[in-house]
Amino acid sequence: MKTVVVAERAKNGLRRVSLEIAAKAKSFGEVEVIAVKGDRYSPIAWSTAVAERAKDADLILAGATANGRDLAARVAAKLGRAYVADCTDLAAKDGALEAKRTMYAGKIRATVKVPLPAVATIRPGAWTLPADAMAPPVTDIDPGQDDPRLTFDRFEATATGGKRVSLGEARTIVSAGRGMKGPENWKIVEELADALGAAIGASRAVTDAGWRPNEEQVGQTGKTVTPDLYVALGISGAIQHLAGMTSSKVIVAVNKDADADIFKIADYGVVGDLFEFVPAFTEAVKKVKGQP
Amino acid sequence: MARILVCLKQVPDSTVKVKVGPGGKVIATEGVTWSISPYDEYAVELALERKDADPSTVVSVVTVGPARSRDALRQALAMGCDDATLVNAPEDVPALDVAKALAAVVKELKPDLVLCGKQASDDDQGLVGPALAEVLGWPHVGMLTKAAPSGEAWELWREVEGGHEVWKATPPVVGMVHKSEKEPRYPSLPGIMKAKKKEIPEKDLSALGVSASSPKIEIVAMELPPQRGGGKVFKLDGDAKAVAEQVAKALHEEAKVL
Repeated sequence: MKTVVVAERAKNGLRRVSLEIAAKAKSFGEVEVIAVKGDRYSPIAWSTAVAERAKDADLILAGATANGRDLAARVAAKLGRAYVADCTDLAAKDGALEAKRTMYAGKIRATVKVPLPAVATIRPGAWTLPADAMAPPVTDIDPGQDDPRLTFDRFEATATGGKRVSLGEARTIVSAGRGMKGPENWKIVEELADALGAAIGASRAVTDAGWRPNEEQVGQTGKTVTPDLYVALGISGAIQHLAGMTSSKVIVAVNKDADADIFKIADYGVVGDLFEFVPAFTEAVKKVKGQP
Repeated sequence: MARILVCLKQVPDSTVKVKVGPGGKVIATEGVTWSISPYDEYAVELALERKDADPSTVVSVVTVGPARSRDALRQALAMGCDDATLVNAPEDVPALDVAKALAAVVKELKPDLVLCGKQASDDDQGLVGPALAEVLGWPHVGMLTKAAPSGEAWELWREVEGGHEVWKATPPVVGMVHKSEKEPRYPSLPGIMKAKKKEIPEKDLSALGVSASSPKIEIVAMELPPQRGGGKVFKLDGDAKAVAEQVAKALHEEAKVL
């Protein structure tokens, strides 16, 4: 089987999810890792170039990031191939692919059979990067012709955004909800996230209220995440939120309501005032990690 | 006058506790409440906000799906959309064929802007939007949170890490919606009454020149995520520091995630 991995560039080399896919894809047979030149993803120019370059491959893989999914779907349509998004695992079986993925916003886990040739995106963190993995050789390809009907105009930065590891790829997430009482109280969340090296997430209640940017929302209509550690602060646990994070490896929940639904899925629950617990927990984390 | 077409799908309401049905390859549909898929509902809201700003805007909705999908179209009409089209199709039509059917409807209605949710909250694939743009030969923009006219063009806001990319598109263009600025509106009573009286024309896939023949993914098995629970509970009564240290120690020594 010939696999082409479409990698995404990061500041220093490739994005972690691209490294994860490139490392795993070796077990499928022949692999080529490609990356489109240029800093800004452009749907038509990039999908044209990737489809042209990878049209002889049995399998085209990309990370299930916003750009990866956008690109892979259009490439699949361009080539008329089967497409499977946001897989948590994938293996060749009986001349086809067998993929594991979630459906219904995380409420269902499905095994699906995908005919070859195919295009697939893989969820960040689904394939653990081996500690001894070497960065793969990457072939840079030129983007195709841009469509004059669609042009990039400008970037509008979010005040709080962009400083941390991205939510989709984070191995640790600190998420906070309505129990924070107001946007002015997020400093303790940030301090805990700093101590843990975590991304910051939020419940829909607080993104809808404008306390936090949309991009932090975890759950249905937000991001589905599967970190090693998920810390939920002042989040009661609406079904839509739980669906988006229930596959985290370890869940810590802090809430003053002992009956909150979040405790039903937590490995460690703390019933009490988060404003007392969080600063103490930040100090305890620093101590365990040997941080000053 | 702008013409916007919103493509939507009917899925189990987001509050539904989804269960696996008989045979283990489909969900149990008994007692399920069906709604417009949440991202599609945002798309309807984005379109209606354009109509609020310029009442000459015409907002059409279309779905490709089984007969029950008519209720989702009716809901969109009650929210304020002008007209609706139902393309009759079995539930397991491959997404590329759904895109072809939608493209045929687009060619009839000639919208300037086509909006879809970024993915339907049942299969969570996100293929139909880009595939529709590809079939039409149009550009597309994903992760939309805002669409505003700017002269002859559309200004399309795309959410990315750290902010928004703003793209300028000469119509026609396809946008996949991630969120609307405001929460989707509830249907008003007059809206519901008006929607009841509206005809919803039906079309068949074959009449649109589409056969369900594209490559398709097949569900082999479905299961619920493993049950969690039985976690340790700490009560915070006064000594936050001691509890915090116990939790940190447990994460380090037992769970080994710290």
